[in-house]
Amino acid sequence: MTLFRTLILRPLLRDRLRTGLSILSLALGVAVIIAIQLASEAATGSFRASMQTLGGKVDLEIRANGGVDERFLGKLTGLPLDAEFSPWMETQAVIPGIGSVPVYGVDALGLPSGEAIVSRGLAGRLLTPSAIQATLGARTARFPIGRIDPRPGEFLAFDIADFQQLLNRYGTLDRVDVTLGRDEDPARAERAIRAALPASYLVQASAARTEESRKMLRAFGWNLRMLSYISLLVGAFLIYNTIAISVVRRREEIGTLRALGAGRASVLAIFLAEALVLGLLGAALGLLIGRILAGFCVGMIGDTVNALYTTSRPAPIEVTWAHIWSALLTGSLVSLAAAWGPAREAVAIAPTEAMSRGAHEHRARLRWRRALAWSAGFALLAAALSRIRPVAGYPVGAYVAAMSSVAAAAFATPALVLGAQRVLCPLLGEWVEGSLAARSLEASLARTSVVVAALATAISMMAAVGLMVGSFRETVLVWLDAQLRADLYIRAAAPLGADVYAPIPAKALDAIATTPGIAALDVYRALPITYAGERATLGAGDMEIVRRYGRLRFLPGEDRDAILRSLPGRDRAVVSEPFANKHGISAGDTIALPLGGGTVRLTVAGIYYEYSSSQGYVIVDRATLGKYLPVQPATNVAVYLPRNADPEKVRRVPQRRTAGMGVAISANRDLRRNSMQVFDRTFAITWALEAVAIIVAMLGAANSLLALVLDRRSELALLRYLGASRPQIRAMVLAEAGLLGLFAAILGTVLGFVLSLLLIFVVNKQSFGWTIQFHPSNELLAAAIALVWLVTVAAALYPARVAARQADASTLRQ
Amino acid sequence: MPVPRLELRGVSKIYSNGGPPVEVLHDISLAAEPSTITAFLGRSGSGKTTLLNLAGAMDFPTRGEVLIDGRCTRGLSDSELTALRRRRVGFVFQSFQLLPTLTALENVELPMLLARAPNSRAAALDRLRWVGLEDKAASLPYQLSGGMMQRVAIARALVHSPDLVIADEPTGNLDNASGAQVLDLLRQSATRFGATVLLATHSGEAAAIADVRIALRDGRIVGQTPWSAAGPPQP
Repeated sequence: MTLFRTLILRPLLRDRLRTGLSILSLALGVAVIIAIQLASEAATGSFRASMQTLGGKVDLEIRANGGVDERFLGKLTGLPLDAEFSPWMETQAVIPGIGSVPVYGVDALGLPSGEAIVSRGLAGRLLTPSAIQATLGARTARFPIGRIDPRPGEFLAFDIADFQQLLNRYGTLDRVDVTLGRDEDPARAERAIRAALPASYLVQASAARTEESRKMLRAFGWNLRMLSYISLLVGAFLIYNTIAISVVRRREEIGTLRALGAGRASVLAIFLAEALVLGLLGAALGLLIGRILAGFCVGMIGDTVNALYTTSRPAPIEVTWAHIWSALLTGSLVSLAAAWGPAREAVAIAPTEAMSRGAHEHRARLRWRRALAWSAGFALLAAALSRIRPVAGYPVGAYVAAMSSVAAAAFATPALVLGAQRVLCPLLGEWVEGSLAARSLEASLARTSVVVAALATAISMMAAVGLMVGSFRETVLVWLDAQLRADLYIRAAAPLGADVYAPIPAKALDAIATTPGIAALDVYRALPITYAGERATLGAGDMEIVRRYGRLRFLPGEDRDAILRSLPGRDRAVVSEPFANKHGISAGDTIALPLGGGTVRLTVAGIYYEYSSSQGYVIVDRATLGKYLPVQPATNVAVYLPRNADPEKVRRVPQRRTAGMGVAISANRDLRRNSMQVFDRTFAITWALEAVAIIVAMLGAANSLLALVLDRRSELALLRYLGASRPQIRAMVLAEAGLLGLFAAILGTVLGFVLSLLLIFVVNKQSFGWTIQFHPSNELLAAAIALVWLVTVAAALYPARVAARQADASTLRQ
Repeated sequence: MPVPRLELRGVSKIYSNGGPPVEVLHDISLAAEPSTITAFLGRSGSGKTTLLNLAGAMDFPTRGEVLIDGRCTRGLSDSELTALRRRRVGFVFQSFQLLPTLTALENVELPMLLARAPNSRAAALDRLRWVGLEDKAASLPYQLSGGMMQRVAIARALVHSPDLVIADEPTGNLDNASGAQVLDLLRQSATRFGATVLLATHSGEAAAIADVRIALRDGRIVGQTPWSAAGPPQP
């Protein structure tokens, strides 16, 4: 304990600034992970809550693509079972000043007609506790509050009859919940229920739906989590560096201790204890920062979930003991793992060898070839892993390949630094500060390499994500250009969400159809479906119009015209690329889709590019859908105008005619802009994560430069004896930072390029199923790298000041 | 009356690094002329290094004045002091203090590069030739013996032809033969280049090359050549 206090705590307290920077670096790494974890849970929290029934425990759920025919409810109730059957409907409403909240239609016995049930959470946010104003489908009305439900979360509910009337959704239910009596045999009940319903109906344990949700969000959550680990990885490099510096600075103490009889285990324990102290403090601070960051992230994650997956409203952020333990464990383990190498180095110091700074660095210089061989090994491993198929739907191989690529780059750093020195030294010519900076970095090769690797990792991740998002954006732009060919788009004025398909009132549809000056009208019907245990969307439109006016792009080798011509009147479908990839479907295959009361066998005529949902689409001709679900309402209308017609002028007619009917009419340009806004919002969280990784790297750069400066006080003082001015000392430290940034930019760009290929062609393909065209944006890349370089140099301002201040006679000890 | 190249007038130096103040030098007055060697003798802690730092304008006295060519160092700004060191002072240290990443030639050239002086490479080569290490120009410090490193350090101290050469225990880490070579070079610095050499040493051999020998004890001058009848003071 005395040794720990003398050798670890005292130096940590003495170098408060450096200790603080190390703890903060790790804290930010832990904070990002905790923030993403908390925010993801909160963003999907209400979604999970909506899975639960208002009626309490549910044993089975009955669902059907196209809805459960409510006539079966009577048949089910008549079964000789000790069971209760509760109808269930669900949509979204907009509450002024609050936003979008889920609305349920339930069997609300005793609730007067027209009154609403409001959750306690929602009621608490209302200005008037007796009534609530809400927009449901196309209608806005004020509803008296009949009951407050004590369950957490924010929702609104009506009796099923009121719900159907309000939304004009008669005849079908979203699901029927089954609660079995205590003595009822579940297997017998399930058999009896299945026998009473068409084979296409899904009868599943209520947990199965949650499993569907889990599957739906897993790729999103997994990728987000992976991104959140970047900062911690960068933080780990910096802990490694901190402990390595600590070992080098205390070499004499270690030598003395060993000479006085301290065993290797004691020395190892001392340095691991130092790492543990840093890890625990970093984790505790990280937890605190993570909780604050989660507040900012939850909105961004919620936007993505809403746009791409399902309608959800963020629940409150809750920090549990599990989060606290997870943070402490992550911080300590990462810190200990990062410290293991330098701690082993400390153990290797022989009692007779008062390890000099040069010896450690000299070994690093000698080992660069070996490091390069390791680098090649990791690069080969990465190449091999990138070809592995996904494991249980997760791109595990690609992620390990990404880690291997980072390791390959880290091991290549000493060779890069030495190589770059050879090139740079002649170029720096007689700029003495630059030359000295370059030589100094070479002299501290081990330390320089770790800082460069940490910075390069952060830059590479930023470059990779930038290249991926940029490519994705460009791909989506090209796709939108092909997809959005109509001049006007019409939908119900309901809240937007990936799984919200609000019906357009029939009279509005008539008003639109009779608008003069229209060339063609494609009425589209969309409904959520479940296929092979995963959610998707079934859509139906006029395929002849799509063929004539649209520019749907199919996978290479598929004949667009022939495919679309083959759809009308036949049990044929086209499916989106993510759907095909997720279910392993090729053109020509047949899919058995439970629909209404039967199962439809659809031949897949073609696979088209689609980027609006990773859940996937199955598209049939309207006549095909009409054959199986005759009363399916229209959800979207695409209006094509004659060439040279002015969309703005034509738009006014249906706008006027449908006034008050709750429809929204958008021009092509507006829809395009909105789509790109959704896209940009979706990736906002990604950029936020990148920014934190860069900040961690910057803190690390400042920390390492400060250590470098403190460690070289006598060398800097010598320069003062030889005639160097304080500005020259400052310039030298800034030049070192500039060179560090330059090396990191070179390595980071190469690594970023490799990682972007992995993200685009492996991770995205395996996670979401879509093909992204590679569109590198050189300007964005150059700007990002220049920014990182500038911030690295800025991070050196304080160390440079310290260097100039400390370089005096008193620091040159003979 | 001519002004001495270096003059210390009633110089005292007191350090107080958080603890009680310690007087390292007490009321020192002396003068040194061009082409002469002044040796300071005394045991560790007697104030030799502090005195050399004050003389080399690396530090300021607490009391008194240090004058180089009649100009007091205290009134100079940091940049003026830097300029003074660049042009007029050369340092030699006990442990050589060569930068490990620079070759012998680059180490010698460094003061001229820092001063952005022209023809630095030629001047460095010339000095290296003078110390007999032209063939070691491309060697890194770890490839040289101790004696060679100190000769490189002397070449570096002389590369910009300074008026004042300050050598702190220059033979302290050397064997006799190497020490003799180094002392010969310091002697030449004074005779051939006209430098004023200040030499701090424990060694009688080193002191023997000096024109003036000053003995220090506890920060005070306790003797000066010619010695008193009792001989040199015992350290």
